[in-house]
Order: sequence, then C-alpha cells, then structure tokens
Amino acid sequence: MTETQSRPGQARRFGSRLRILAIGRNPRTTLIRASVLAVVCVVVFKLVLLPVRVEGISMTPTYSDHSFHFVNRLPYLWHEPRRGDVVGIRLTPPDGWAAPHVMYFKRIIGLPGEAISFAGGRVLVNGRILDEPYEKGPCDWIAEPVTLGLDEYFVVGDNRSMPKEQHTFGKAERSRIVGKALL
Amino acid sequence: MKWPRLFLLAVVVALGAWAWIVLHPSPERRIRRQLEGVAHAASFGPNQGSLAKLAGAASAADFFATNVEVQIDVPGYQGHRLAGREEIQQAALASRASVRSLTVTFPDITVIVNADQESAVADLTLQARVAGEQEMIVQEMKVTLRKINGQWLIIKVETVRTLQ
Repeated sequence: MTETQSRPGQARRFGSRLRILAIGRNPRTTLIRASVLAVVCVVVFKLVLLPVRVEGISMTPTYSDHSFHFVNRLPYLWHEPRRGDVVGIRLTPPDGWAAPHVMYFKRIIGLPGEAISFAGGRVLVNGRILDEPYEKGPCDWIAEPVTLGLDEYFVVGDNRSMPKEQHTFGKAERSRIVGKALL
Repeated sequence: MKWPRLFLLAVVVALGAWAWIVLHPSPERRIRRQLEGVAHAASFGPNQGSLAKLAGAASAADFFATNVEVQIDVPGYQGHRLAGREEIQQAALASRASVRSLTVTFPDITVIVNADQESAVADLTLQARVAGEQEMIVQEMKVTLRKINGQWLIIKVETVRTLQ
C-alpha cells in the first residue's frame, strides 16, 4: 500500500525537477535570460569575435588546414595593426560593420611607408632582414621591393616553402583588415 | 481602441509592408537574386547526362548580355578572355565536361546601383569547390550589370586582385 502511494509522489517530484532543470523555477526569468544570452551570442559571434575555419596550407605550421579560430575585431579599434599580427582580410570592399563570410588569413610583415622585398628566402624591410621566428620551412622566394602607401600593409602567409606563384600575398588596404587572429 | 485591436493593426501593417517588399523588390535585391541564380546555374553535381549539361550551360548563359565581356586574371594561372554569351555557354559546357562537380557560391556581395537605376556594379567573393581538388578557389570579382528589357543582365565580369 505504501509502495503504491509513493510511486506517484516520486513521479511528481521527478517531473518537477525535470521542469526546473529545463525551464527553471521561474519560466519568465528563464525566458528573459535565454533571450539575453541569444542576443549576446549573436552580437559577439556575428560582429566582434568572428569564427573562422582555415582552408589551405598557406599559414602552416602556425595555423593548419581546417583548424578553427576566431578573428577579433576589437584590437584595431584602439590601435593600428602591428608587424607580426595575424589578421583577417576581407575580399570585398567594406560594407559598414557587416562581417565578411570569407577572409584571407595572413601575417603582417610590412607597415605603411615601408619597402618590402624578398631575397634568398628572407624578408627585407627597407633593405634590412626581418627576424621571423614563426617562419620554419626553407624558402627561395625572390621579389623586387614594393613600397607601401600610407594606408597599406604587406601581408603574407607563414608557409614560404610553397611556390611563390601559388601563394596569395601582397599589399592590403587598411580598410580591408577586419581584425586580429585570436588563438 | 483597445490593445488587441492595436496589436492586430500593427500585424496587418507589418504583413502589408513585407508583402510590398516581396512583390516590389528593390534593384539591389533583384541583382542579388540574379547573382545567386548565376551561382546556382554555374554549379553542377556529378553524373549529369548530356542533355542536363547542355541545359545547365544554357541556363548559366541566360544571366549574361549578348555582348558580355569576361576577363579572368588569377596569379599563377593563364589569363582568360571571353566575349559574348555564346562563349560563356561554351565555357560552361567545357567546365561540365572537364570536372566531375562544381559548387559555386557568392558569400559576400556588395551592390552599388548607379543613379540612373539602369546600371550597377557588384563586388563579390567567388567561392568555388571543384570535386577532387583539395583547395577551395576564392577570388574577388567585379561584376557590371545593366537593365535590359526589364531584366538585370551581366555585361562585364573582371577578377580583382585583393592583395596587390
């Protein structure tokens, strides 16, 4: 008799706990919290911290093919891009604050006004060899000096073992730099 | 007026506005839809029959004006020039014969309609995946369109070097 009475009680308690777990003690508060969380997620991941998946080998070994990262748009609100930063570069001209779906993922090696060239596989900035600890593989690239404009940066991938002709690199306008790689 | 009636009125107004936008799309919206159509027509799956290939190539060419110009210059590859819708159709057919499948999308499109409302320029990112190729093709493109007989048709396509 006791057993038959306790079973519905247990079921009620279980149902109540399940309800609390799913929608909280106060469904209205839970709904507001969920809405706020959803809005925050949309704002953060659509406008500020852009999720990117690397396609291709031009940034290996630093970033491997198919790896997942974020591009943070906030750093360049406070300061200009710096040498050595890995950045996302949009392919289409800027369209307000809208985030692009496709970006190049490259490293900045040249700053506005500098002359960049490749000789014997090394990068020369204004004729001086640039120290690049991230550059691991052998490189035989040769390229004439390119002088950057006042709003231009020179970007290139870390994988210089691949043929220069198959590697996308060069001058990027400041307005096309979306943000800095995070992680 | 009570709140439920006001709410109902607001819903009716919103639905009316939505219907107006859908039935009378702006030139920019029509161009975007047209470009999405190009991407869809340029894509094809494996095991297409000869008739399907012909029909696909013809439908891809329908988005272009008869005197269209196409200039493709990608670093590391030989440049291509196409002139006229016929050549576009031939190229579409050739691509269907040479690769097993192709998926084309334009993920980022910026459209600027000129003041005359008869011509426009679209900057877009071409993303293409060829069956059997490990690397995806990504290229910035500039597409010029003109309104011909009420339809936005492509009159010029150029590749743009994002990094110079």
